[in-house]
Amino acid sequence: MDYQSLANANTWSAIAPEIALGLLALGLLVLEIVLPRAHHRLIPRAALVGQLALLAGLLFTISRDAGFHGASFGGLLVHSGIGDAFRVFFLLTSTLVTWMGIGALERQTLPRVEFFHIVLVVTGAMMLLVQSHHFVMLFVALETVTVGFYILVSYFRSSTSLEAGLKYLILGALSSAMLTFGIVLLYGVAGNKALPGASANALGFDALHTFLTLNAGNTVAIIGMILVLCGVAFKVGAVPFQIWIPDVYQGASTPITAFLAVGSKAAGFGVLLNLVTQVFPVGDSVLRHGLVFVAGATILFGNLAALTQRNTKRLMGLSGVSHAGYLLLGVTAATYPAAKWASGAVVFYLFVYMAASMAVFGVLSHLAKTDDAGLETDEFVDLGKRSPLLGGVLAVGLGSLAGIPPLAGFIGKVLLFIAAFQAGLYGLLGVAIAGVILSIYYYFGWIKMALFEFTRVVPREPGALELEIRAMPLGGRVTLAVLGLATLVLGFFQGPVSQWLNFG
Amino acid sequence: MSDAFFYIFATLTLASAILVVANRNAVNSAVFMIVSFLGMASLFVLLEAYFLAVIQVLVYAGAVIVLFLFIIMLLDVKGGDRQKFRPVTAIATLAAAALLFTGVGVLYQAPSLAVAPPADPGVGASLKDFGALLFTRYLLPMQVTGFLLLIAMIGVIVLSKRFDASKQGPTA
Repeated sequence: MDYQSLANANTWSAIAPEIALGLLALGLLVLEIVLPRAHHRLIPRAALVGQLALLAGLLFTISRDAGFHGASFGGLLVHSGIGDAFRVFFLLTSTLVTWMGIGALERQTLPRVEFFHIVLVVTGAMMLLVQSHHFVMLFVALETVTVGFYILVSYFRSSTSLEAGLKYLILGALSSAMLTFGIVLLYGVAGNKALPGASANALGFDALHTFLTLNAGNTVAIIGMILVLCGVAFKVGAVPFQIWIPDVYQGASTPITAFLAVGSKAAGFGVLLNLVTQVFPVGDSVLRHGLVFVAGATILFGNLAALTQRNTKRLMGLSGVSHAGYLLLGVTAATYPAAKWASGAVVFYLFVYMAASMAVFGVLSHLAKTDDAGLETDEFVDLGKRSPLLGGVLAVGLGSLAGIPPLAGFIGKVLLFIAAFQAGLYGLLGVAIAGVILSIYYYFGWIKMALFEFTRVVPREPGALELEIRAMPLGGRVTLAVLGLATLVLGFFQGPVSQWLNFG
Repeated sequence: MSDAFFYIFATLTLASAILVVANRNAVNSAVFMIVSFLGMASLFVLLEAYFLAVIQVLVYAGAVIVLFLFIIMLLDVKGGDRQKFRPVTAIATLAAAALLFTGVGVLYQAPSLAVAPPADPGVGASLKDFGALLFTRYLLPMQVTGFLLLIAMIGVIVLSKRFDASKQGPTA
């Protein structure tokens, strides 16, 4: 075997954004050693500026269509338009998480730099994860993301935060075990020389796809595929793998809750889209029925469980489960030839979901008390009067999550529903619409509490529920305003974005 | 000859594995686990999987067992009373045994076993090939693993070390 030619297949320039993120992460640690202690507060800002610069570079490369497309590293990674979209998505998410993290860590006596370091490493790993085309690469990237989140979830070291970290560790390990078991079964059965299409390199997605198409009814292969999908379903929080969500979301600090809700979920969906559209021949098999069933159950469970929630972080977590359900609807639709464009709709919905969720989490993170265990919805009384910006952005974000026209969330949902209609998933479509109607109840309960005077029914003691509203620096106000505006604008005008996300 | 060795090491592995479960003293259990791992490593040697054998000794018999012993000493685990035997345990044992026998049965009847093994043992059989692949085709996953270990290390320090706020720079 010629190792030199193997080494030459390693196209390092193809993963320049990921390498830059890794270097930035390492640079932060170096800065902490080199800089005098009085200047240490510059390090998180350096992380922020570095990410913004990287984002600008990435957008420039994409706009010039100058990025590397195709397979690199001997087929470990495959770069495509959808991969570029996910890169931008993760970079935007991590920038916003860094911004929230700066604010949240200022109120704590905790080590700072390591937080941003881990956020950057996890972001780079998520980028590699959605572009991986080989199970070795996929597993290594996924474990890097997961281990990073174990640390980030328990970073604040309060008892709730540590408990959340432990729960996430145990359930995450369980999901990794299922995923690995599935991969091993697939590798084993696809390496069986007695079967047609067997390959010695069955961990690569192309060889595996050939094998699975030729052996559509193979029981071991089906069990393997189901186990792999279960492992991924854990990451996106689909029913019945959603049990960890409320506790972990509540225990983690708000910036990390946002990172989990947006970044980790999107990474899971990136992998899922890859697997069901390119690797697993979903066809008319048990897999498709499973996907349809899980999507419906996820939508219903998320919305019903969120109905009675008062704690805002748990509410966001459980309503996030329902959003995972809508996204699964899109992913299922994308497996039908009639609705192949649904992958683009899923990515569009992820962007819309990020803008809206980050607006809500940004407000939550700013209002959080020192313990950061999440506020009750009742505590938002008069928010709109006391701080119009926070109240307005919160209302726009929640309205978009509920899918109210003319906000972006409405368009995102409509696109997913059209795809489901074209795919002929009428029953699931009915469930999804019922879910949207249910969600209006709890989202608007919260908006009503924050904006409208007449909802205050119980005369309360003066100051009992009074929230302390800190002054917000200009950068923070601008960021929140941009998030709110993005949600508004994307609701009216999607031209360039939908063109970019048209993956066919 | 190698058959005789197989039976010797297989007996050693199984017997010490049973002793791990049956022993009441946690430290004794851990030490029997080392014996079991060593027996398994010898089985790997018989299969000419030398690299796997070395890893088995270094990682499992070495590092993992030391970790177990540390925790046992740290928590000062006493033997204590045996847990009561519950019907659930019997059901679980029966289910596991049934799974095992089905698996072995299927394996013996499978037509795939009739296929002749490839003449070329393939890459990865020797340590040299393994290392060469790791540094050529799988260089990227290896680098990512480096980052994984780095954040794991940083995480342990951040989560377990007492933080001294006076050594930190001024806030914002």
